[in-house]
Amino acid sequence: MASSKPQRSYIYALLAGFALFSFRPLLADAQQQPSGFAVERLYQSAPGGGWFVMDDLDISGRLGGAVSLTSGYARNPLVITSSDGKQKLAVVSEEAFVDIGGAVTHDRFRGYVNFPMPLLVTGTSGTLGPYQFTAPSVSLGTNPDSVSDPRIGLDARLFGRSGSLLRLGAGAQLIIPSGSRADYVTDARYRAMFRFLAAGDAGAFTYAGQLGVHVRPLNDAPAPGSPNGSEFLYGISGGRRFAGPSGWSMIAGPEIFGETAFHSFFSGETGTEALLTGRLEHSGAGRNLRIKLGAGHALVQNFGAAQWRIVFGVELFGHK
Amino acid sequence: MRLWLSVFAAVRNVNTSTAVSRPYVYGAPNRRLAQSDLAKMLEIVRRAMRVLTIVLLASSLASAQNGTPAPRPEDEVSIMQYLADKGLHDIENENWNAYGQFTYISSWKPSFHAPYTNLNGSINSLLPTAERSFTGTATLYLGVRLWNGAEGYLVPEVISEQPLSQLRGLGGAVQNFELQKGGAAVPQFYKSRLFLKQTIGLGGKSIVEDSGPLQLGTHYDSRRLDFVIGNFSVLDFFDTNAFDVDPRQGFLGLGFMTYAAYDFASDARGYSYGGIAEFHWDDWAARGGRITPPKQPNQLPVDFRLFKYYGDQMEVEHKQTIHEQEGMVRILAFRNHENFGRFSDAIAAFEANPEENAANCTAFNYGSNNATAPDLCWVRKPNVKKGIGGFAEQYVGHDIGVFGRAMYADGKTEVDAYTSDDRSATIGVLAKGTSWSRSKDMAGIGENVGWISSIHAKYLGMGGIDGFVGDGAITAASERSLDLFYSANFRKIYWLTGDYQHITNPGFNAARGPVNVFTVRIHGEF
Repeated sequence: MASSKPQRSYIYALLAGFALFSFRPLLADAQQQPSGFAVERLYQSAPGGGWFVMDDLDISGRLGGAVSLTSGYARNPLVITSSDGKQKLAVVSEEAFVDIGGAVTHDRFRGYVNFPMPLLVTGTSGTLGPYQFTAPSVSLGTNPDSVSDPRIGLDARLFGRSGSLLRLGAGAQLIIPSGSRADYVTDARYRAMFRFLAAGDAGAFTYAGQLGVHVRPLNDAPAPGSPNGSEFLYGISGGRRFAGPSGWSMIAGPEIFGETAFHSFFSGETGTEALLTGRLEHSGAGRNLRIKLGAGHALVQNFGAAQWRIVFGVELFGHK
Repeated sequence: MRLWLSVFAAVRNVNTSTAVSRPYVYGAPNRRLAQSDLAKMLEIVRRAMRVLTIVLLASSLASAQNGTPAPRPEDEVSIMQYLADKGLHDIENENWNAYGQFTYISSWKPSFHAPYTNLNGSINSLLPTAERSFTGTATLYLGVRLWNGAEGYLVPEVISEQPLSQLRGLGGAVQNFELQKGGAAVPQFYKSRLFLKQTIGLGGKSIVEDSGPLQLGTHYDSRRLDFVIGNFSVLDFFDTNAFDVDPRQGFLGLGFMTYAAYDFASDARGYSYGGIAEFHWDDWAARGGRITPPKQPNQLPVDFRLFKYYGDQMEVEHKQTIHEQEGMVRILAFRNHENFGRFSDAIAAFEANPEENAANCTAFNYGSNNATAPDLCWVRKPNVKKGIGGFAEQYVGHDIGVFGRAMYADGKTEVDAYTSDDRSATIGVLAKGTSWSRSKDMAGIGENVGWISSIHAKYLGMGGIDGFVGDGAITAASERSLDLFYSANFRKIYWLTGDYQHITNPGFNAARGPVNVFTVRIHGEF
């Protein structure tokens, strides 16, 4: 009987080990760590597209092109709310980028490339329910040469002419993964977008709209705020043109755009933003200049729609 | 020809006779390598090839090279030339241009003799086993004229790579200039350049600048001021050369890119942020720039506090004509004020307290496990590194030229961005295949020699490591690399290159090596 105590401790140790092994998946599940994704929801129009997100489909002439520089700042683009609604965590609280694009146009077609570069992506780490979120920490100093998810695209004006009441078109984009998911700048997967575009001019008024599909293989559900597979894109814009001297004009009006995951149509996986935009442009023969400014607020703050954002852009465009 | 051979032999002799051979050996056998039969044979073959190549080259444009792509000749096939031929683009006065390239380089290093490797937990030896290395790069060069005199450039690039021994064990003799610190086999997409250039004409002659990567086709005044601001490679503007040979067609060795001892401030990929001013006055030019350094030596994050940490460089350049053959000479000086370590401080710290060794340090370090060695990690603070060098290149015949460059840096501080060399000298010959009716082919031979300072050698001998070298012990000597290549053009836009490099005293250590590296490169331009 002298050996009964050690024997009992062996059994306890064995049981404890077994219990740990058995509960290991549960312990791991208790602290799941979402890996991050491309949080930016300002899916810009092609260089020379006029609006920030919509496209004026003003593609015509012989060989032409556009060069664009766009920069923006978004506040609280990813705020996660606990299931009971009591807790909020701004995983990405600040996001700034610069995007340089170039487009070549001929007749009714446009090919283009965009190179987005993150300037700042920061937030707050924390635990929300079973999820442990690690905030990104990106700055120009730490990531001096990052290009996040560049894209190449092709647009075509299918119906209507420059200045007509109705122009219809279609566009496709391929988004090439680049960067780190932990930085919330990429899904680390190829993505694509297919959009039906509409635009037109009626006197001093101009408008544009889009419906599309964002083919997004990443599905991190049920992690809150994370992508849930492919998405439906929508947007509309309208404005008034104020003619100025020497070919200059100013167009002011709102853009409303958003997306919703097909798996959870118009539920929590939907984000919608409104931007009030103004653009000053010189158009005519030869080289033209467009300066754009936008400021907006989330209408439905989910899924990457920023609480508020400001955007600035400059475009050089023209054709022979 | 005799003159050529004697000049080359003299340089070789000077290199050999001035080689650092201080016997700083700590914890390792101090003995010379016994030459194997294979090594002797290779030496004979090497010498024979050197003579043969010089004979071949003597009848034939040559060049040194740099990190900047070259202009595209009018007879070269490119998108821009195609558009110009169709009347859709004014290639001589461009508002925009777009060029591209891809390059795949595969190197094979047979095993070599090494009495010790990574001694006592040091980690920076070139591995003596046979190894393969590769790089694959693809680059898009985009340029646009923004307003009168202003040009903007964006260069996205993707790289996939696998270096020899994780890019450890060599100074300026790294066999492939495309290799980057921290690279990976998984392709990495990044922006290599994004800068604005503003030119202010001051008169003089009108100079034609051909369209090419990082250059819009235009006319400049021979007297002008250029200002550059943004993100670029220092080598886009400093230590460039007039022969305009694309480095991806020329020498493969890192020591041929620029002075191996030119520790220009840059991030781990070789790019920087900053500003440069250039003053051109006919055949003279002077330029100066202030550039961002890395936050930690040889790392990617950049320190933007340009008034506190910076790399300054000044260069004066003169183009000359000798016997109707063009040439150029330059003098370049740099001064870096950055956060890095002095060898003497690391040694003193270790000698005062052996606990301050390479294995114990928890601040930024390169991962050495040598508990008997000093480490720079303990002593990094704002320090200064200085250097001065000279470069000359000269056409000596139709499509043949020679070049040489040498630099002396103070050698007191660790490598911060480029190579471990504290002093370097390079000489070489390049020739285009005009004389054998293959005008787009290129052949070249050159020798690069690198030295380290005595305090650097002492630090390495005590088992310390810097960003690239440190075997745990050292028989200090000059690191030399002979580079021989032939680049054959086919279908106008592709070049297939065969390259051989013979590296003596790898990592400045006469106890190891020599090392042979055989390389094949395929390069395309559009």
